[in-house]
Amino acid sequence: MRVTICIGSACHLKGSREIIAQLQNLVREKHLEEQVDLNGSFCSGNCVNGVCVTVDGQIYSLKPEDTKEFFDKEILGRL
Amino acid sequence: MVTNDATLLRIKHQVLNEVAKLAWEGTLEQKRDEIPYHMIQGPKAQFRCCIYREREIIRERVRLAEGFCPSGRDTKNVVQVINSACEGCPIARYVVTDNCQLCMGKACQNSCNFGAISMSHDRAHIDPDKCKECGKCSQACPYNAIADLTRPCKRSCPVDAITMDDNGIVVIDESKCIQCGACIHSCPFGAIGSKTFMVDVINLIKAGKKVVAMVAPATEGQYGPDITMASWRTALKKIGFEDMVEVALGGDLTAAAEAEEWAEAYKEGKKMTTSCCPAFVNMIKQHYPMLLDNMSTTVSPMCAVSRMLKEKDPETIAVFIGPCIAKKSEALDLNVKGNADYVLTLGEAHAMMVAKGVELEPEENTYQAGSIFGKRFGNGGGVTAAVLECLKESGENTDIEVMKCNGAAECKKALMLLKVGKLPADFVEGMACMGGCVGGPSKHKSEGEAKKARDLLLGKADSRMVHENLKNQGLEAVMMHRNN
Repeated sequence: MRVTICIGSACHLKGSREIIAQLQNLVREKHLEEQVDLNGSFCSGNCVNGVCVTVDGQIYSLKPEDTKEFFDKEILGRL
Repeated sequence: MVTNDATLLRIKHQVLNEVAKLAWEGTLEQKRDEIPYHMIQGPKAQFRCCIYREREIIRERVRLAEGFCPSGRDTKNVVQVINSACEGCPIARYVVTDNCQLCMGKACQNSCNFGAISMSHDRAHIDPDKCKECGKCSQACPYNAIADLTRPCKRSCPVDAITMDDNGIVVIDESKCIQCGACIHSCPFGAIGSKTFMVDVINLIKAGKKVVAMVAPATEGQYGPDITMASWRTALKKIGFEDMVEVALGGDLTAAAEAEEWAEAYKEGKKMTTSCCPAFVNMIKQHYPMLLDNMSTTVSPMCAVSRMLKEKDPETIAVFIGPCIAKKSEALDLNVKGNADYVLTLGEAHAMMVAKGVELEPEENTYQAGSIFGKRFGNGGGVTAAVLECLKESGENTDIEVMKCNGAAECKKALMLLKVGKLPADFVEGMACMGGCVGGPSKHKSEGEAKKARDLLLGKADSRMVHENLKNQGLEAVMMHRNN
């Protein structure tokens, strides 16, 4: 599964690095390194509310504090 | 630099400068559309059919400079085609020129196994539908009358990732592309470019973040014998970077960790490859995934320095600067923790300076963080030399065979041999660019042109040893495994 997190400056200022760190830790905790591929992306112009995160092509807008819930629902939920 | 793209480089750098200038001013949003008019004033076209096309191409270059794909596309590749700039060069690879004497020998026709060659009234003719592009006719012709017209972009690609659409416009097969950037400077129309993080870095500096530059070991010598690492540090600090660290230090860190790995692998009889060149790593991942287990697990010098900086201060934003395009893709691989946040090419970093009226000024070098071995990481054979030095320093066996691959074609050959179990050497040093990183696609000067200045600058480095250097700087505990 390809998970893409925007690392453009706008998303950076909204906490993309915190989200990335949390996702990296969660993937390692659950030993999902083989199944979840974490990627950064350049800004694709979808800067609206939160950080732009894409799972298998579907775009989400995420806040750092919602990362765990997002991981459980959208990532674990799809595996 | 004598290349086929002096004019193109001037235009590309001007675009970067203009974008950087507006980004620093904070007026990019309002004024980006003015750049094409500013640069292409008309009324006469200079390079293309009309000023409207020239402006359209500039508009797309602005998008790349801002980190966007050219219009109408949103793909992950760092390397991107500017469709409006692609001239759709002739696709028939072998063409008979008027050197043809319509001779009696007809070696071309006799050499063709596919019956593709017939004789017209003034010269031989190749039927494009039958031609398999084997090249035998071209080799056979005693008058050298058959030209090999492979597109320069296609010729430059080591992994056959360049294809064409129905209109002859270049399409990059992203599943094959290893982001090495070789095609970018091979195109005489400048139709291929890379997305940049320049505006992101400017925005974060402006937002008051702690942004630290990490300058590649290949940089020394690129701007002449008087531009030292201290010159870079001064100039980067002037434009708002908090500090600068030379990645030669990361070379030391990587060499030390890799030496331990190699020593162990050698005892087990396991063959291994290096992992510091991102295009080489991409080549393994995408084209030889069965060899992933043979790839060193040590992180690159860039990642090592980034981890070191973030360990000291987790808030640090680490920005790598070097002649490499593929490093951008390494920064985008978030499966590795603590790597650089952003990557800039030498030209992009320089544009950020020029846009602020800052230049790299001659300065006595007062700064050295890496050993001479780390500093030579950017030269072909440099990684091997550094790893051997580390093995020697720790009293390990140094009698090992390393296949030093200079350029992507040699990398491919070595990986192929390793795959079929016929690699004669114990280890593979993979460098996707000819000459190593100093031959990178975004170099400022070619390896030959920069050599004298580079040798002079490196000649001034002290003779500290690798382990001693790491110990003195308290860096023996930096996490060097990619899964850390």
